[in-house]
Amino acid sequence: MTLEKLKVIFEEVLDIDPGTVGEETYVIRDLNAESIDLLELAVHVNEKFRINADDQAMFLRQLRSHTGEARIRGRYPHLREGREKEIMLDLEGGPVLKVSDLVDYIDHSLAAGR
Amino acid sequence: MKRRVVITAVRVISAVGNTLEEVSRSFRHGLFPEIRDHVIPVDNFDLRNFTGRNKDIKYLSRGNQFAAACALEAARTLSAGDRAEAGLFLGAGPNLDLAQVPANALWLLNYLPNSAASFVTKTAGIHGESATLGSACAASLQAIGLAYEKVASGGLRFALAGGGDSRLSEGGLKAYRDCRALFSPETAGDLDPNEYYAPFSSERYGFIPGEGGACFLLESLESALERKARIYAEIAGAGASCDGFNMTAPQPEGAYAKAAILKALARAGLAPGEIGAVSAHGTGTELNDQAEGRALAGLFGAAPYILSLKSWIGHLASACGAVELALCLSVLRDKVLPPVRNLAGKNRMPGPPLNFVTSPAAADLRHLLLENFGFGGQNYALVLNKWENNGGGQH
Repeated sequence: MTLEKLKVIFEEVLDIDPGTVGEETYVIRDLNAESIDLLELAVHVNEKFRINADDQAMFLRQLRSHTGEARIRGRYPHLREGREKEIMLDLEGGPVLKVSDLVDYIDHSLAAGR
Repeated sequence: MKRRVVITAVRVISAVGNTLEEVSRSFRHGLFPEIRDHVIPVDNFDLRNFTGRNKDIKYLSRGNQFAAACALEAARTLSAGDRAEAGLFLGAGPNLDLAQVPANALWLLNYLPNSAASFVTKTAGIHGESATLGSACAASLQAIGLAYEKVASGGLRFALAGGGDSRLSEGGLKAYRDCRALFSPETAGDLDPNEYYAPFSSERYGFIPGEGGACFLLESLESALERKARIYAEIAGAGASCDGFNMTAPQPEGAYAKAAILKALARAGLAPGEIGAVSAHGTGTELNDQAEGRALAGLFGAAPYILSLKSWIGHLASACGAVELALCLSVLRDKVLPPVRNLAGKNRMPGPPLNFVTSPAAADLRHLLLENFGFGGQNYALVLNKWENNGGGQH
C-alpha cells in the first residue's frame, strides 16, 4: 500500500512513466533525483501520508558521516533488517538511497504515530 | 562599427496561427479568432508536446510555458555548440494565477519571472548569457531590442529573444478588471466584443486579453550569410524611452512614445516618411489609443498604414511585442495587411486622421515600425526592414 502510493508520488514529481519505479530502484542513481526533487518528494509524502518527515533521516542524507553497521542502525532505526549491511557493501556504487528506504521510513513513522 | 542584425528563426504560438503561413492565411481572409467570454484563448497548448516528459514543467506558469515552448523550438535551429554560446532574452510579467498556488515545495518558481529562462537554458544547454525583462507590456519587444543591441555590438553571435504570457486566470482577469482596463460587462454591458471590440474607434471599452508566445533567433547579417540561413527580416533600429508620468496612464500627448520612435528611426537611418506601416500598440483602451494616435499623427501624418494586431489576438501583456513581431514578419513576407477588427463602419476616435487598415489588403512594405507601451510609461519601438532572400536587403 505504501509502495503503491509512493510510486504515484515519484511519477508525479519526476514526471516519469508509470512502471519505472520499484522497491529496489535507487532514487538518485537510477532516477537522477536532484536536491530540489527530494524537497518535492518530502512535501508530497507529508501530505499524502499525513506524517511530518525528517528529511535528513528519510533521505539518509548524512549517511556517510554515520558509516559502520551499528551507527547506521542507530541513526536510521526505520531501515528493514539487514539493510545496514547491504548499505555498507554498496557505498562505492554511489548514493545508496532506495525507494524501499522511503517505504520503511514512512511505515515506521505511521507505526510510531499510532 | 555596428553590425547589421537579422532574424533567422521564428517560432510563434498564437490564436491566429502557429506558423507565418497560417497567420497570413487568416489575415488574407479576415478570419479573426473568436472572442470567448471576453478573452482570446490559445486552444490545445501542451508544453510536453515540445519537450516530452520533463519534471521541471511543474514550475512554469502558463505564460512561462508559452515562452519556453517557443524559445526551445527557436534554440533547436542551432547546433549544440552554437546554443552553448548563445544568449537568451525574454520579456515576462507576473503570474497572476493567485487562486491556484501549486502544491510544490518550490512553488516560488511558479511566480518568478525568470523561470522560463532557467528552464530553457537548462533544457537547451544555453550558456552565453540570459536576462529577463519586466518592463510591463513593453517587456518582450524590449528583450528583442536588447538582443539586437548585443548582436549589433558584437557581444553575441546568436541571441534568442521573445516572450510568452497568459493572464487569463481568475486572478489575472480580476487584476485588469479592477483597473477598468478590460472590455467587460462592467465597461460594455452586454455588447458582444466580437462586434464591438474596435481599437481606435470612438467607442472603446478596454482591451481583450489573449495569450501565447513567440521567440526569434537574431544574428549578424554576416553570420547568417556565412551559414546560408534563411532571413526573415532585418532589425534596423530600436529605441526606448519612459514617460516618468503616471503609474498606469500614458502621457496624454504621447510625447515620450514619440521620442522612442524617433530614436528607433534615427538608428535605422530612416525618415518618418519612409515607414510604410506601423504596428501600433492599439489596445482599445480609452487612454492608450488617444495618446498613441496623437503621437502617430504628429510624427507620420496620415501616410503609413496603421495596424492593431491586438484586435486579432488580444493583449498578451508582456508577450505582446514578441507575438506582434511574428505577425509583422508575416505582413512583410506575404504582403498582406490585416484590418483592425470591427473598425470598418464605426466612427474613428476624435483627432487627426490616420490611415487605419479596415479591410484585408495587399501591400509590399519596405520598412515597418512596431511599438509597445507598458504601464508606468515604458515605451519601446523597433524598425524592421523587409528582406528578399534572393535579392538581399532593400534600402
